[in-house]
Amino acid sequence: MSRISLIHQEGALRSYFPESTIIRRGEEELIWIGDITPSPLSETYRVKLHYRKGHFINVYVIGRKLTLARGKTKLPHVYSTPKQQLCLYYPKGNEWHPGLFYVHSLIPWASEWLYHYEIWVATGTWRGGGIDHEKVEEEKDQ
Amino acid sequence: MINNDQKRQLSEILGATGKTLGITKAQYEAAVASYQFVGDWLCRPGSPLAPFHPEILPQGSFLLGTMNQPVHTDDDMDVDLVCRIDGKLPWWAQVDLKNAVGDWLKAHGTLKKMLDKEGRRCWTLLYRESVRFHMDILPAIVANNFKVLLEKAMSESDTSKIAELAIRITDRHLSNYRTVVNPDFWLKSNPFGYAIWFKQRSAVTRYKIFTLNEAVQPVPAYEEDRSPLQQVVLILKRHRDIMFNGDADKPISIIITTLAALAYNGEDDIFDALNNVVSGVERFIVNRYDPVQQRTIKWIANPVNQEENFADKWVAEPQKQANFYRWLQQVKDDIASIVQRHGGLPLIKEGLSRMFGETQMNEAFAAMGDQALKTRVSGGLKMAAGTGMLSEFGRTPVTHHNNFGSNE
Repeated sequence: MSRISLIHQEGALRSYFPESTIIRRGEEELIWIGDITPSPLSETYRVKLHYRKGHFINVYVIGRKLTLARGKTKLPHVYSTPKQQLCLYYPKGNEWHPGLFYVHSLIPWASEWLYHYEIWVATGTWRGGGIDHEKVEEEKDQ
Repeated sequence: MINNDQKRQLSEILGATGKTLGITKAQYEAAVASYQFVGDWLCRPGSPLAPFHPEILPQGSFLLGTMNQPVHTDDDMDVDLVCRIDGKLPWWAQVDLKNAVGDWLKAHGTLKKMLDKEGRRCWTLLYRESVRFHMDILPAIVANNFKVLLEKAMSESDTSKIAELAIRITDRHLSNYRTVVNPDFWLKSNPFGYAIWFKQRSAVTRYKIFTLNEAVQPVPAYEEDRSPLQQVVLILKRHRDIMFNGDADKPISIIITTLAALAYNGEDDIFDALNNVVSGVERFIVNRYDPVQQRTIKWIANPVNQEENFADKWVAEPQKQANFYRWLQQVKDDIASIVQRHGGLPLIKEGLSRMFGETQMNEAFAAMGDQALKTRVSGGLKMAAGTGMLSEFGRTPVTHHNNFGSNE
């Protein structure tokens, strides 16, 4: 599928999230900062999506330190707990590609991550599905 | 205050909570198998009761579908049963019926070992296997046309048949226990009439017609999806169990169940139902002048026998009345505090854990997480524009993806 240009991504982001902040440098870079409330009784989280040409797109929760579930030392399904950078798709699958609108993929996925994050803090177990880094490593060894 | 979306989510949370508070299918099946075994033994040729077609029927919360999980895993569940017979030898007084049941239970080696000391009205069997419960078996005589009555269909407006479902029971504390052979003078009770009344009150859609049989069966169907009223009763009784933690003066289940059913108004939303019930129950506790006490007392009438006061013990034990009102206020305060909580689902769960217990709430929230994942996988989860909120009605579906990375 052909790549969606950043100018179209920006238009879709503005349509979905008129209140959000969007910074775009031509077709080189796009930063979206918006507030997401994953469920009616959830907290509101500030999410940052950052695209730079030649890099993966990164999605972060910013502006606050995310609480960990009791007894845990790391966030679930993140690239980095200190950076609060979310792992929203399996890189080797074809789940994400530049032919997708952010508002149809990464942003709903981030909202879903936030919902399951709250359940995780509440219960100590991750119920949002996904593929475990370590399990993939184990499978490779076999 | 909360908006409609938040209210809907609170209902979802309370629904998931209600699910974890009732007994499981495994517990249910273990209890049914156990009482059917007893029923079969009572019918066995040689049993003094066999000519009178004894049948073991559940009553109380087991029949109503409002039986709570015990607070501590090593606590017993109480299964209330009626040992129904449709006749007796003409010279039998209450004591003879009671002993006929007790003696035949003792004639079975295993049952004899499980038998507890004789109760006022019941025989109690203690089960101490994988599922711990005790079964209170209430010997009772029913009217001859009991089964015929059960077959009849009835609508809510026709409650005239309910009184005819009354059974006659034995009571060791009564002066006529050993003497009177005519059951018309024995103590009357109407657990099956009550069950039918409760089922009518449970109906979300009013004026539903059903047969009496649906409400009273030897093996009531295990209800995976309990009605809003059943869930409200489970929630209220659990709150009571946690708050009073074994205190003998706690509000009794029949009072909570009756008041909830009276105040329930057919709401299909559990949060609405709970709110309306809690704010409405006091209306159904009436003040009546008691000529014996020479003062006004609280009266909570048995809906199928207005002359029976479920709160009769409040007179001699005023701490029971005080506890009831203290509990009701606490439920109101707790619901209000949940509504006011800001800090996301973890904080709401923490508040509910204090009301209903940590294990149950972990289970309830995990079930909601599982449900959200299931909805997304089936393509039914959508995200709203503006807020990014997830529901079944958003602007864009949450498409297939796998969260990657260690889940620790």
